[in-house]
Amino acid sequence: MRKNILLILLLLFSKFCVFAQNNDKMFEESYSLLNNMIETPSNYNFKKAVFAVENAYLDGKLDTTFVNNQIRILNSLSKSLVENRFLAYVERDKPTFNKWASVFEVMHDTIPLNIKDYVYKYIPFGYDFKDVFGHAKRENLFVSKLLETRKGNCHSLPYLYKILCEELGVEANLAIAPNHIYIKHKSAKFGWYNTELTSGIFPNDAWIMASGFVHIDAITNGVYMKALNNNESIALVLIDLADNYNAKFPNNDGTFVLKCAETAIKNYPFFATALILRAETHFKQIKKIQDKEKYNIAFEELEKEYAHIHEIGYRNMPDDMYLNWLVSLKTERSKYENKNLNIFNQK
Amino acid sequence: MIKAVVLLLFPLAIFSQVPVMPVTPQASQIQNYSNQNYTNSNNRNITTNTPTQFIDVRQTQQHQQIMREVEQNEKQRTETLNQIKSDINEVSSSLNYNLPSHSNEKGTEFYREVFDKMLLLNIQNYSVKDVNFDIENAYFENKLSKDEFDRIIKETAEFIMAKMREKNFDTNSNTAKNFILFEFFSQPMQVMGFKQKHFPIKYDFEDYWGRQNWSKMFVTKLIKSNTGQCHSMPLLYLTLAEAIGAEAYLSLSPNHSYIKFQDEKGKWYNLELTNAMLTVPSFILNNGYITAEAMQNKIYMQNLTKQQMLSQFYTDLASGYLHKYGYDEFVERVINKALELYPTSINANMVKANYNTEHLKYVVEILKIDAATQEGREKILHYPKAVEILEQMQKQYKVIDDLGFQYMPAEAYEKWLGSLKNEKNKQDNEREKEQLKRLTKALNDANKKMNKQSKS
Repeated sequence: MRKNILLILLLLFSKFCVFAQNNDKMFEESYSLLNNMIETPSNYNFKKAVFAVENAYLDGKLDTTFVNNQIRILNSLSKSLVENRFLAYVERDKPTFNKWASVFEVMHDTIPLNIKDYVYKYIPFGYDFKDVFGHAKRENLFVSKLLETRKGNCHSLPYLYKILCEELGVEANLAIAPNHIYIKHKSAKFGWYNTELTSGIFPNDAWIMASGFVHIDAITNGVYMKALNNNESIALVLIDLADNYNAKFPNNDGTFVLKCAETAIKNYPFFATALILRAETHFKQIKKIQDKEKYNIAFEELEKEYAHIHEIGYRNMPDDMYLNWLVSLKTERSKYENKNLNIFNQK
Repeated sequence: MIKAVVLLLFPLAIFSQVPVMPVTPQASQIQNYSNQNYTNSNNRNITTNTPTQFIDVRQTQQHQQIMREVEQNEKQRTETLNQIKSDINEVSSSLNYNLPSHSNEKGTEFYREVFDKMLLLNIQNYSVKDVNFDIENAYFENKLSKDEFDRIIKETAEFIMAKMREKNFDTNSNTAKNFILFEFFSQPMQVMGFKQKHFPIKYDFEDYWGRQNWSKMFVTKLIKSNTGQCHSMPLLYLTLAEAIGAEAYLSLSPNHSYIKFQDEKGKWYNLELTNAMLTVPSFILNNGYITAEAMQNKIYMQNLTKQQMLSQFYTDLASGYLHKYGYDEFVERVINKALELYPTSINANMVKANYNTEHLKYVVEILKIDAATQEGREKILHYPKAVEILEQMQKQYKVIDDLGFQYMPAEAYEKWLGSLKNEKNKQDNEREKEQLKRLTKALNDANKKMNKQSKS
C-alpha cells in the first residue's frame, strides 16, 4: 500500500517535471526563433516574434486563429482606407505615408463602415490605465490581450502598430523613452516624426527630452529616442521573453535570462533595460555565493555594470512619475505637439 | 497592369521635392528638378501584354509593321538627339559655370590674407583673441588697431584678476575664474586701485543676426558699445578666459551659442550670457527644435574642441566675406577647410548648402532655364555640368537633413530666449548659481588653509 502511494506520488511528480520542462522548451524555442531572425535578416518577422513570445508564456495556448483573423481584418480595413480616403500629402513618399496614416487611423480613429447598406461604427483601440507595467499580470502587456479587449498600453499598442505597418509592407521604427515605447517614421516632408499611440498625438522630441528623466548622454548615446532597426526591435522582444520567463519561473538560476540579455545587448549595446536585467540577474546569482572572497570579486564586477548603466545616461523614472508625464502630453498639448502634422483629422 | 501604373508613378516620384532649405527661401522654386531618367517615360506604354492565343497571322503582320515603324522612329529620334547634343556641347564648352569671382574687388585681399594666415595656425594651440580679431579686421579692411584691442583685453584681464584677489579668490581655480568672468558679464564691477567702473554687458536686440550690418556680430563692436548678442558675447568670454587662463568652451544650439565650463568636481555649467543666467540642459532641449537625431550626431550642446572651434572661425571668415561681397569660389574654399576640421559642423554645412544653392541659381540664370515650368526645368538635363551642380546641392541638403537639423524660425528663437524669465528657469538659475558659489567658496577656504599651513 505504502509502496503504491509512493509510486503514485513519484508518477505525479515526474509528470510535473515533464510539464515544467515543456514550458521551458517553448521558451527555448522562442529564443532560437528570435536569434535566428537576428542572424538571418531575411527571416525577420516582427509579428511572428511577438506572438511566439506570448505563446511561450501562455504555454502554447495562444489562440492563433483568432489573433491572425483579427490582424487580417485590421489589415484589410487599413488597405481600404489607403484606397478610399483623401490625404492631403503630396511628397514623393505619399504611398508609404498613406499607409502609415491608415494604420494610425485604424489604431486611433472611429471609422464609419458601410456594410450592406448599414452604417457600422468601427471602434478604435483604447488606453488601459490599469497595470500599465504588467506587474499584476504579464498578459496585460500582450498584443493578443489588446486584440481581445481592445485596450492596451505603451507596450502592446506600438507593437500592434508596427505589426500592422509591416503587414502593409511599410516600415515602422520603434523608439524608447523612459518606461515607454513609441513610433518613429521618417517622411520626406517632416523628416523624423513621432507617433504616440497611447494618446494618439504626434509629440515633438522636446516632450521626451524635457520630461526631466532623460539625461542628455542617454539621447546622445541612443539609449532613448533612437529609431530602432530590425535587430534592435528583436532585442526588445528578447527582453520581453526574459521578463516573461522570470515571471513564470521566479526561482530560475538565471541562465536563460542571461542568454536573452546577452543577445539583446550584443545587438543593441546601449539598451538600458537589457543592461539592467543582466545586472539584476547577476546580483541574484551573486547572492548565492558562499565564499566571501569570490563574493567580493563578483560584487565589484557588478558595481562596474551599474556604473556603466549610469554613465551611458540611464536614470530611473519612478512609476507614478511616468503616468504624470504621459498625461502631460494631453494637458500641455500645445507645447508638445508637432504642429507640422495637422493633416490628420483629429478630434 | 500594375507594372504600368508603377512605371507611370516613377517619373512623378523622381520629381519630388528636395528638402526645403529655409535659410534661402527664394531658392525653393528651383529646387524641384532632379536628374530624371528619360528612358522610363518612353518605355512606359510598351508594357501591355497581349495574350498570345489571340494573335493570328494578320495581327502578326500588323505587329511587325508597327515594330518597324517604332524602330524607324527610334532611329530618327536618336539622330536628332545626337544633333542636339553636339550643338549643346559646342555651346556649353564655351560656358563658364563658376560663380563670378569677387577677387578683383577692393578689400577681398584682406580676407585672403587672413585665410592664408589661419592655414598656418597650430590647430591645437592658437589664440582665440588673435584669430577672431583678424577675422573682424578683414571686414574693416585692416583699419582696426590691434595694439588698441590687445591693450583693452589685457587691462580687462588685469581688472578681473585684481577683483579675484580683492575677493580673496583662489586664482588657480578654474571654477573661481569662470565664476568671476560670469560676474564680469552680469554685474557692475569696481576694484580698489582701478579708476574704471565696469557695467554689465547688455543684450543688443537690434539686428541680432547681423543681417543689415554684419559687424553687429563682432567682439570689437561689443567692446565699443558694451552690448552684444549670442555670437559676440561668448567670443569675448572665451577671449577673456584665454587671457586669465580659465578653461571654457563654446557650445551650440539652434541659432545660438553659449558657454560651457566644468568645475573641479566634474560638473558642467551652461552660461547664458545674453540673459546673464545659468541654465540647465532641459532649458536648451526645451526650445523644441533640437531633434534626437541632432543629439545623436552631436551637432548641439557639445563643448567644441580647439579644432572644432577653429572650424567655427573659418565659418565666421566665410560668413563675413559673403555678407560683404557675396558667394564665390573663395567662400567654397574656406568652408571646405572648415568642414575638413569639423565634418559635422552644422554651421559650416549650412553655409555650404547656401553656397551650392547660389551656385545653382547662377547656372540656371546663365543657361536661361525657366524654373517655373516642368518643361523649362527639364532643359537642365542637356547640361551634364549643370546637373552635377544640382546634384551637389541635393547631396548637401541631405547631409543637413541626416544630421537632424530642424529650422528654428526667428519668432520661436526669441520666444525661447524670452522664456528664460520663466519662474522655473529663474529657479534653476538660482540653484545653479548657489551651487557654483558654494563650490567656489569651499575651494577658496581650502586654498586659504593650504596657504596658512605652508606659511606656518
